[in-house]
Amino acid sequence: MAGFLCAGTAAGADKADLAKKQTSLNSEYSLAKGSSFYFVLDVLGRKLELRVRGMVLRSWPFHSVRFWGRPEFAGNVELVRKTALKAPKRIVIKPGGEAAKVETAPVPAADPPGTSALPANPESFDLEALELKDMPMRFSLDFDNGLKIQVKVKTGASGGLLGTIREIWRWHVDLPLRNIFGPHTGTGLSELELTFEKDKDGQAIYWHFFEGIKGIII
Amino acid sequence: MFVKRILIVAAALSYLGFLAVLGAAYFIGLKQVSAWPQAGAGTAIDDKDVPKVEKNVQQLEKRMSGLLPKGLYIVIDTAENRLYVKKGKEIVRSAVVSCGSGVVLEESGGKQRKWVFDTPRGEFSVKSKITNPYWVKPDWAFIEEGESIPKGLEDRIEAGTLGDYALGFGQGYFIHGTLYTRLLGRNVTHGCVRVGDEDLKAIFKGVPMGAKIYIY
Repeated sequence: MAGFLCAGTAAGADKADLAKKQTSLNSEYSLAKGSSFYFVLDVLGRKLELRVRGMVLRSWPFHSVRFWGRPEFAGNVELVRKTALKAPKRIVIKPGGEAAKVETAPVPAADPPGTSALPANPESFDLEALELKDMPMRFSLDFDNGLKIQVKVKTGASGGLLGTIREIWRWHVDLPLRNIFGPHTGTGLSELELTFEKDKDGQAIYWHFFEGIKGIII
Repeated sequence: MFVKRILIVAAALSYLGFLAVLGAAYFIGLKQVSAWPQAGAGTAIDDKDVPKVEKNVQQLEKRMSGLLPKGLYIVIDTAENRLYVKKGKEIVRSAVVSCGSGVVLEESGGKQRKWVFDTPRGEFSVKSKITNPYWVKPDWAFIEEGESIPKGLEDRIEAGTLGDYALGFGQGYFIHGTLYTRLLGRNVTHGCVRVGDEDLKAIFKGVPMGAKIYIY
């Protein structure tokens, strides 16, 4: 009897998986037909992928996920805003005019080959450039359906005791109250927090996700 | 004394009220969260529809795989400064490259033009293949060095800078060689993609004209 019940449940799960697959493939095909990059966020599968024409360019598995508010945000979405507390700034060079707006080290690329005194490890010196390491590890992504995704990394500093308190306040006090009394009339608040394993994962997501990128949340 | 008591009671009631509201808000949030859609939730399939859905899924998968570029194609990760030559889902060759620095150059006098040294992102294709390319230095190259912009084309031509080969992918952008091999792996270019000699040779020989290039 128990085996019979288990078989019935498994068949139900298979059908559910099939239905999910059909829905996600339908959604993805509409995006993959074009030449633009898009992302697929598989919440239950715990991975975020950057894709083009159906092929996976980058895949970032996430360590943990938590969410708040109404979960009816699955489907096709578009990124409308990317915000970070410490958003990277471009270096502006104005030769012959006022000084560069951001002061950095001289450009090693300007040295003749073989004559520069660069260290052996090219990763170890600063360049007058905007690189992956300059990207924030913690930021938020706002989507057109009202969903907000907070991206953070496991290894990233929590900001000490103050940061922990702020985080507890935000998640357990601010979000519940905003969910009820905030300006999300009728829709409620939807916030998803994804924690990635490595610093570079968060930074790479910031680098590759641009405002206007479309995607699917499944 | 009486007023003080009233104030204490009012403060206590406010605090309790706040806690009650917070608790209610938290409870509502938890209830919403518990409604997280599980796999396939809300999309019930009848047993009789299963073969139809399976066929549909197979067709969609076939269509999706048909979207992959045919033959060899190039994928460039501008964040990691990596170039991959791929065929289908297989990586045929990978190389450490240098992509755009993201620096903004502003012309202080003259037309007050502005350049952003990003490697363009998107889908491109190999539009030209050149052996022993010459670099025709654009205006920004002189402005960046604080030099005056020459009038004659011959004063703009520089040999050797781009290495032995170049693959053009439009709007003046190339995948080319470099003299600064120690900077491979870093974002240092003005938008082009610099590749080491050996990798460049293999890419140039292997990737045909018209091959797709995906830069992200």
